Amino acid sequence: MRRRVVGAVTGIATTMFLAGCATNAPQDTWKPKGPNAKIIDDLQKPVFAVAGIIGVIVTAAVITAVIKFRDKGQPIPHQSHGNPALEITLTIIPALILTVVGVFTFRTVFDLAKTSDTEMIINVTGQQWWWEYDYPVQNEFGITQPIISSGQLVIPAGTKVLLRETSRDVIHSYWIPALNGKRDAVPGRVHLNRIEADKPGIYAGQCTEFCGLSHANMRMEAVALSKADFAKWVANQLKPYTSPAENTLAKEGEAVFMNQCTRCHQVNGMKRADGTPVIAAPDENLVSGAAPNLSHLMSRNTFAGATFDLLNTTCRKDVWGADSESFGAKYLSGVSEDCLNQTDLRGWLRNAPAMKPMYANPALLASTGGKYRGMPNLGLTESDIEKLVAYLLTLK
Amino acid sequence: MAIIERPASTNEVATVATPSSSLGALKRPVATTGWKSWLFTVDHKKLGIMYSATALFFFIVGGLEAVLIRLQLAAPNGKVLNADLYNQMFTMHATTMVFLFVMPMAAGLANYFIPLQIGARDVAFPRINAFSFWALLFGGIFLNMSWFLGGAADGGWFMYAPNSGPIFSPSHGIDFWILGLQLAGIASLAGAVNLITTVLNMRAPGMKLMRMPIFTWMQLVVQFLLLFAVPVITVALFLLSFQRNFGATFFDVSAGADPLLWQHLFWIFGHPEVYILILPSFGIISEVLPVFSRKPLFGYPFVVFSGAAIGFVGWGVWAHHMFASGLGPVSVAVFSISTMAIAVPTGVKIVNWTMTIWGGKLQFTAAMKFAVGLIVLFTIGGLSGVTHSVAPSDTQQTDTYYIVAHFHYVLFGGAVFGLFSGFYYWWPKVFGKLLNEKLGTWNFWMMVIGMNMTFGPMHILGLQGQPRRMYQWTEARAGEGFFNLGFWNTFASVGSLVLSTGILLFLINVVITTRSGKVAPLDPWDARSLEWMTSNPPKEHNFDSIPTVSHLDEFFHRKYQEDASGQMVKVKTAEQVMQELEDNADAHIHMPSPSYWPIVLAAGLPVIAFGVIYSIPIAIFGGVIVLFGAYGWAIEPSTAPDDDFDPPATTKDVVHVG
Repeated sequence: MRRRVVGAVTGIATTMFLAGCATNAPQDTWKPKGPNAKIIDDLQKPVFAVAGIIGVIVTAAVITAVIKFRDKGQPIPHQSHGNPALEITLTIIPALILTVVGVFTFRTVFDLAKTSDTEMIINVTGQQWWWEYDYPVQNEFGITQPIISSGQLVIPAGTKVLLRETSRDVIHSYWIPALNGKRDAVPGRVHLNRIEADKPGIYAGQCTEFCGLSHANMRMEAVALSKADFAKWVANQLKPYTSPAENTLAKEGEAVFMNQCTRCHQVNGMKRADGTPVIAAPDENLVSGAAPNLSHLMSRNTFAGATFDLLNTTCRKDVWGADSESFGAKYLSGVSEDCLNQTDLRGWLRNAPAMKPMYANPALLASTGGKYRGMPNLGLTESDIEKLVAYLLTLK
Repeated sequence: MAIIERPASTNEVATVATPSSSLGALKRPVATTGWKSWLFTVDHKKLGIMYSATALFFFIVGGLEAVLIRLQLAAPNGKVLNADLYNQMFTMHATTMVFLFVMPMAAGLANYFIPLQIGARDVAFPRINAFSFWALLFGGIFLNMSWFLGGAADGGWFMYAPNSGPIFSPSHGIDFWILGLQLAGIASLAGAVNLITTVLNMRAPGMKLMRMPIFTWMQLVVQFLLLFAVPVITVALFLLSFQRNFGATFFDVSAGADPLLWQHLFWIFGHPEVYILILPSFGIISEVLPVFSRKPLFGYPFVVFSGAAIGFVGWGVWAHHMFASGLGPVSVAVFSISTMAIAVPTGVKIVNWTMTIWGGKLQFTAAMKFAVGLIVLFTIGGLSGVTHSVAPSDTQQTDTYYIVAHFHYVLFGGAVFGLFSGFYYWWPKVFGKLLNEKLGTWNFWMMVIGMNMTFGPMHILGLQGQPRRMYQWTEARAGEGFFNLGFWNTFASVGSLVLSTGILLFLINVVITTRSGKVAPLDPWDARSLEWMTSNPPKEHNFDSIPTVSHLDEFFHRKYQEDASGQMVKVKTAEQVMQELEDNADAHIHMPSPSYWPIVLAAGLPVIAFGVIYSIPIAIFGGVIVLFGAYGWAIEPSTAPDDDFDPPATTKDVVHVG
């Protein structure tokens, strides 16, 4: 009878635990979407099960003792001091269980550290509070010029990608739960991290090493595209810059951008009226020495450390909810004017530190020799913002 | 204390020491009542109470910080705290709970009960004992003053470099944190030396190490851990101090340094620290379970040796906090295996506790409830700990709420429940009054329900991908369905209020008991160990005569013996056992005298710390205070000479306390 009660309680508890979980949580660690996350999952599921069973046994034993040996007036028990044989048995059993777990753990650790089968390399650099991706030249993927992007890591599905992680300021940690466990990005060191996605799709992640004020706002996504779609993405990233047509709002926006934004933000190929290239110099203004490259801002669909969506709610749902067949085309279409999340982008241009806490108050820069961490409030006028939005929409 | 006291069997009034000459710079303090008797005391019992009261105060502070954290996270995009304040809050919550609550509370109990449990009249170095307490108190106050002087530390309790550097945390918060912890570290180190010496040298005759009460054993292991772990954090803190205040570059990558140096130093301290926090509570429930089961601790030598084994293996597992740090597969694999290895001695303890209550005659007093609660809750935390030892799995879980769930089951369900068990068990010993058992039951259930509501859902939050240390969470990453991450965040926040209510009930219980509690009988629990073989509260000199120990559970075996049929029967009452001790009262008991110097010396330390932050001349002034204190201390004898007493302590039958 008691056994049945314990069994029922266990069953109910397990069901409640599973039913108690969110569906489609974007960062669920138990929903692997690639081989690296899968071998972790295969290892941890049995461990969780065994741990759960042991937990139930101990709890049941304690509850049984509590019920059975409650003081009901029985005599004082014999003062026995233990049972060494039993003790040793109960020491050896967990040791054996752990030995088995240990063997499999060992294998998995080394499997996950393999780099000899790498097909593609991407350099990932963390800084307060966004990720930069730098694709070195890899002709077999059509990457004939380095590509620099941020926020969303675009990878070809079914390809073994090796991330080479580092940081420009404090320690960050790169984590896309569906694709692999996390790996810290440490300044002065390069850490390797394998990822691979089985299918096209968008996989959410978040910086998981506490990195200061806006740690909570340092997010990222991995975007897996079919090999054909990835080639299109690469081609688009390598597309030369086209200045907006004369006498458009966007053209005026380009001028505002050149005045206000190019101190830190690079747009590849942008030229001044006299034909000289516009080169950003973020190292003069920022502690990390880097700001996101905005050359193809509207080919991504998040901004500011993937904290805010560039897509409005409807269009976001369309892309994030797409099946793996239709996802590529939807992602590659980028952000159109109809889909743009005007509220957040304008809010950001109006006063960035109000939307995402940053050390960007000019009065508080004594310790950094006047350098910002994050984007300051630029004091743009509403008409400047209008023009800038029009211009940014051309950066596809 | 400098009083002359007769054995309790006579009813003579104690008389006060009257120093005839000034020894050192000041005359010896003589007050036996009032605030002065506390300020200058060297009595281990008074210091134990002061340690515990300090710890309880900081428990409330740390608890309020926790409630603010949960209020902030109750709803998406919380607005209760801003990002800066939130980061300070979780940094200080952890720091306060670890360094200013659990450690001093364990130190307080160790101070009070180790001498009593081993049949000693005080600790080996009473003045150092007082100094330790004052250094801890001043360190704790200093640490918290940062709230009012430009903001508290904001780098997390682990304070990873380079985020803790002057560029990334320009306020003085981290400086206060470093120096406050240095002060607390001095207290811990001095305390460790003191208690180790006490246990090794001052046990009653016949008390071999393997007859020592298990609480004292676990505390002995803890003191050794402190002795070796605290110097490591001290070095780390010095490096960080020099980096922040004097332009050193120990963790500065641009100067060729490696920030991982900090992580290694911190966790070489930090992991033994975990056992420093939990072992005292293991000791407490290993006392409480046998008493209320009416049978000895099952497998006492296994519990002792597994405790010692934890103390050793605990040094070889630190890098499991760094599985995602990029140590390379060899280190990760090795530390993964060593972490699994430490689960075995921990598991042994759980088996022993369960087997202790198995077959017993269980009485569910509040102390017993908390002890049994610990077995189950700690097991849950221990098992989730085993899942972390699987390094690849840990790379998914580390820095998520799953870890927060894990260590709160271990430290709240484990360490804190153990301490509460100790509160209910030992309260009558310390204050002579029984805490209200009915309120205690409510206190227990509210805490069990509250803690499971608060920390239980964090397993789900973590496994479903919510990272720690985020001042806000967003619905975009919370998933769908009724039981999404938003639901569980709110649920946990409600749980934290239930938990707070439970703790409030304890405080109410304390107030009610103090005002109108039931006076405790001599041996309220029919206990087993030496600390119960004296009055409640114990006399100044603890024991009229030092008992000769011939058993583990000496007190029990003096009260009970097997009859012809093998049945345990009571042969003596506690009162009779006490009477025997009184009848053989020692003639000339010499107790250490109170002193000004410990508090003077300790008071110099925060002054130095202020100076390091604000201005070097202040530090020099602090140094002068320390030197003055050390000078006075050095030339003052630890006990007042006989002719300082009024009347002079000459008669043979006088207990000489002072």
